[in-house]
Amino acid sequence: MNRWALAGVAVVTLALPPLLPERHLATFVLLLLAATVTVGVSLLMGYAGQVSLGQASFYAIGAYAAALPAVHGVPSLLGLVLAPVAAAVAAVLLGAPLLRLRGHHLAFATLAVQLILLSLLAQADWAGGAIGLQGIPRLTILGFELRDLGYAYAAWSVLAIALLIARNVVDSRPGRALRAAATSETAAAASGVAVGRHRLAVFTLSAALAGLAGGVYAFYLGYLSPGSFPVLLSIEFVVMAVVGGLGTLAGPVVGATVIILLVQLLNTLGTQPGMPDYAPSVLSYAVYALLLITCVLYLPKGLVPALRHPRKAGITR
Amino acid sequence: MSDLIGYLITGLGIGAGFALVASGLVAIHRVTRVVNFAQGGFAVLAALLTSTLLSAGLPHGVAELGGVALGALAGLIVGVVAIGRPDTSPGTSLIVTLGLGVLAYAIEVLIWGDQPRSFPGVPGVAEVGGARIPAHYLLIIAVTAVVFALMTWFFGGTDLGRALTACASNRYAAQVVGIDVRRMGLLAFTIGGALGGLAGVLTTPVQQVTFDSDVTLIVNGFAAAVLGGLTRPTIALAGGLLLGVTQTVVAGYGGGAYQTEVALVLMLTVMIVQAARTGPVPETAR
Repeated sequence: MNRWALAGVAVVTLALPPLLPERHLATFVLLLLAATVTVGVSLLMGYAGQVSLGQASFYAIGAYAAALPAVHGVPSLLGLVLAPVAAAVAAVLLGAPLLRLRGHHLAFATLAVQLILLSLLAQADWAGGAIGLQGIPRLTILGFELRDLGYAYAAWSVLAIALLIARNVVDSRPGRALRAAATSETAAAASGVAVGRHRLAVFTLSAALAGLAGGVYAFYLGYLSPGSFPVLLSIEFVVMAVVGGLGTLAGPVVGATVIILLVQLLNTLGTQPGMPDYAPSVLSYAVYALLLITCVLYLPKGLVPALRHPRKAGITR
Repeated sequence: MSDLIGYLITGLGIGAGFALVASGLVAIHRVTRVVNFAQGGFAVLAALLTSTLLSAGLPHGVAELGGVALGALAGLIVGVVAIGRPDTSPGTSLIVTLGLGVLAYAIEVLIWGDQPRSFPGVPGVAEVGGARIPAHYLLIIAVTAVVFALMTWFFGGTDLGRALTACASNRYAAQVVGIDVRRMGLLAFTIGGALGGLAGVLTTPVQQVTFDSDVTLIVNGFAAAVLGGLTRPTIALAGGLLLGVTQTVVAGYGGGAYQTEVALVLMLTVMIVQAARTGPVPETAR
């Protein structure tokens, strides 16, 4: 994307929040947070070649790490700083053994980690247990307590930080090393790439991004429970990354936008009078599933490359 | 002592369910190299259909067969989508089956709603070694034993089964001797679907089923199958039984809240030890 288009998108998205009604503002905030997590998932899948089915666990770790101290009176900004740190520390500790695994083994291992985390959280009375953690204070930055509009800009900044980091990683020497390792691990290792270390670094980075987004999420909603982070949420992040296009910077943002807007639209449709009460969930499951399957089979590079080079990214593979 | 016997037998019954899911995963993986994420969904679909058929007045046996048939059909459909296009890599197929698993949620909630369902199994209580156990557990164990014996005979003693085994051990050589590898892959998916369906139909009377129970089933099934490297059905059977027994014994002696963790940590340990011993999984050429 060229510089002017980027500036245009930035200006439009910055001008948008005050114009949105409250209901759509919530969608806007959640969309930006989901896009932030997806940037990490996309780095992991596109550049390290690994699927994580447990990314929501780092989102959860970040959220709880931000909310727990804040509930006990620690300044909320400090909690927000703790969120990515806690997620990154967890990723290093988990990644050291888990990243020995590849492909479907790693996919199941990350899924298992999330199930373990959810089960532990549900039993942890100090974290609110299965009922959840209530009364999380609002985020206060320099004595200024954030309201709805403030969270929109907080989420915007978080996504901007994530994209900036991702761009620098992709353009860097370690970024090239990672791409080499994703194509052929043996060849990369033979060329002197410390594959294991790079892989752990990108896993940690993606966890930190998820943790940071989780921190904002905790303060924005003011309530957390293990049920806020189902396995389906992890799958959603994968769907967003795949639909948008792996290995591109705009991909995660486009993927998250397309999916969240579509699901929101169907949700509105599904809650119309006369629709059965299960309609919203059925419609959103169907959307995730059909978009994921169609993209993987017919647009394996995702929407962004397909829009950029309509002929190249199509059916031919 | 009678407590322990009770836990062992209920554990074997629950583990038999995991073993059936696991053997379905193995049946599909060894022929197609695809780890089928929708495997738990077959069990859920079969169980839900059986509950509908039973409440519509069909006799036991017929309703259960209907459920298993739906599992097999779902398996075939998943197979067609996941490996129907030529040159779909196993990694791509994994994501496709993940998508199909989520699609199954939409269909299940649409038809059966999101409330847990169950149906009665074998009534009564059996006494084994002084322990009183619901008789249905004995049925699960017996049916699983018969099914595994049939599978051993099928894969080793029939032409079709041997063709499947040939695809599993060397796709290229199998193609050379005239075996249609893709058709064998679809057959493997159908068998996997039926096995998954059977697991759901057998275990639902002792464990309620909801549309999202497939996550527990697939994770436990994968844990059992991964012990044998996803290619050996007998080890998958042993793994499933071991998981079931461990979980019930842990739950029975007071760790009820931690029974999921036991299975999951066991699975992670096995995978990490395997990876440490053999090095990373060999790369496929692209």
